[in-house]
Amino acid sequence: MLRISYKPSTSHWLFPPIIMGILVFLMVIMLIQRAFKCKKQGKPFLNFKNYHFFVANWDTVRLPGSLVLLLLYIPAMNLLGFLPASILFIFLFNVLFVGLGQLASIPVAFKTKKFWSNPDFRSLLISLIISVVGSTVIWFLFGQVFKITLP
Amino acid sequence: MEVFTFGISQLVMSFVGVVIGIIFGALPGMTATMAIAIFLPLTYAYDLTTSLFLLLGLYVGGISGGLIPAILINIPGTPSSICTGFDGYPMAKRGEALRALRIGITASLIGGLISLACLWFFTPPLARVAINFSSIEKFLIILFALTIIAALSKGAMIKGIFAGFLGVLIALVGQFADNNKMRMVPDLFRVDLRMGFQLLPVLIGLFALVQIFQEAETGMKEEHRKMDLNHETRSFSFKDFKGQGFNLLRSGLIGTFVGVLPGVGGSAASLLSYSQAKSMSKHPEKFGTGLIDGLIASEGSNNGLTGGALIPLLSLGIPGDSTTAVLIGAFMLQGIQVGPLFIMNNPEIWRAILIALGLANILMFVIMFYPIKHIVKVINFPKTRIYPVIILLCTVGSYATQNGNMFDVWAMVFFGLVGYVLWKFGFSIPSFLIGFILGDDLEKYFVDSIKGSGGNLATFFSRPIGNVIWVLILISLAYAFYDEYKSNKKAKKAKA
Repeated sequence: MLRISYKPSTSHWLFPPIIMGILVFLMVIMLIQRAFKCKKQGKPFLNFKNYHFFVANWDTVRLPGSLVLLLLYIPAMNLLGFLPASILFIFLFNVLFVGLGQLASIPVAFKTKKFWSNPDFRSLLISLIISVVGSTVIWFLFGQVFKITLP
Repeated sequence: MEVFTFGISQLVMSFVGVVIGIIFGALPGMTATMAIAIFLPLTYAYDLTTSLFLLLGLYVGGISGGLIPAILINIPGTPSSICTGFDGYPMAKRGEALRALRIGITASLIGGLISLACLWFFTPPLARVAINFSSIEKFLIILFALTIIAALSKGAMIKGIFAGFLGVLIALVGQFADNNKMRMVPDLFRVDLRMGFQLLPVLIGLFALVQIFQEAETGMKEEHRKMDLNHETRSFSFKDFKGQGFNLLRSGLIGTFVGVLPGVGGSAASLLSYSQAKSMSKHPEKFGTGLIDGLIASEGSNNGLTGGALIPLLSLGIPGDSTTAVLIGAFMLQGIQVGPLFIMNNPEIWRAILIALGLANILMFVIMFYPIKHIVKVINFPKTRIYPVIILLCTVGSYATQNGNMFDVWAMVFFGLVGYVLWKFGFSIPSFLIGFILGDDLEKYFVDSIKGSGGNLATFFSRPIGNVIWVLILISLAYAFYDEYKSNKKAKKAKA
């Protein structure tokens, strides 16, 4: 029967190689499965030409935009503090998710002096209300009432 | 006898949990798992027993709320409500939406109470058996849990196993407790990753950010939702349940049983219960046309899942589904280990769990049954307005994991991206998370077994209970291969 030599000084490297071995074994099986499937269907094993990582007509603004905002939000909390950074970024997330087109309503609203009755500008105001109220409520509830450490 | 305090704060926590859970369950794309992941940081502010009222309220509410969009717009709010729309939606179309909703809510309550009874009766004896387990049996039980996850990754078995073991590998990152040495940590992150990746940022990233990325990719489109509850052709009556006793009991028990099996989701419970009700019915041809039997089967089983999934969690330390995997986080955050000794060492928490689950089911019924006409408006909340607030909650939750560490927020974003890529390539995210949760213990019990046997691997076949678990592992793998074969055959047939 197989034996494993156990030494306390190297015991931290006893288990990880076993898991890595299992992962490599499973990867080989997946590759073999794919090779068989491709051969059966007459398709090339590597087919980068027809490969699409994203769904057809994926949103080229919202997906990269949300990632960029997330990555900027973290250092912004260090720079501005939790509450101001959250108000700013929750507003930006709202604008991004609802649609950037509404930004065009800003000059129109100021020009016509119609703010709430302009649906796009109203949407921006709602984004602002959500970001101020949402961030403040969470800051108060988590940070002040529940005494949870906030960034 | 130790007793836990039950007062107004526990009641309020349960109420808040159920209400928020219903909202998350009712909004397609948001789940009970997501709700628990986001609200887990609140457990820092309370003791575990009080927190459990919130978390179990979120769990029950999250599962129950899924019936609202399933019945009204034929889109299941949660995977557990997948069959609810089969008969619920035709009922709504013929002007019986309120009746369908109230039948579903009542079935949910009964299913939840059946599973609570099972949890109460079966967890202590199972824990008593497991108490005698040595590190060998504990290692094999965890291995068994991993094979079951694989067995249920229908049509993608190898990918399911791969995701599970990848989760195990990620769990090994950091310091090894036996000799305090680091492994798999780049020098740059030696301080931050000393204790490895924290559970909370990992699960928030996997279950909340991945969902947001998926929605962002498709443009966060809102479905056109229209409902009319003012022109009911037939109203609800408790007489509707006449002759449904066996259906209710069977559905509750099926839900509980499926919940016990690690890695099986609520969708499987709903489908299994629905198909059983159909095959045992005198009029199977009427299923799918708005028959209350199907609605009761689906809703009775998915709430049955709640208690069932807690049985392996509290007796063996193995999560029954992704939601209970997240619940483990709550116990870990309080430094309490779930497993065979849990009930013996924490009788007051065990009693709190039973009461919290019962209370959550009753509150769910009270909150939903009569005010349902108003609650249905929840599905009009636009995702585009909710997701930004969720991002804020995710950030706060991750940051608070280690009492204020920005590295954990970066880890959350990293695992959000990892989860998104895994999903893109068809790997199961819950399998990855369960592997991550069980990875530490898998290693600990493996190394302990090896230490005890002087390195002899035959030790894993030396104990009778261990050999029984080996048989279960083999049965599980054989079933997995059979199921994979059947699924592939079915897929080919459907293509042709």
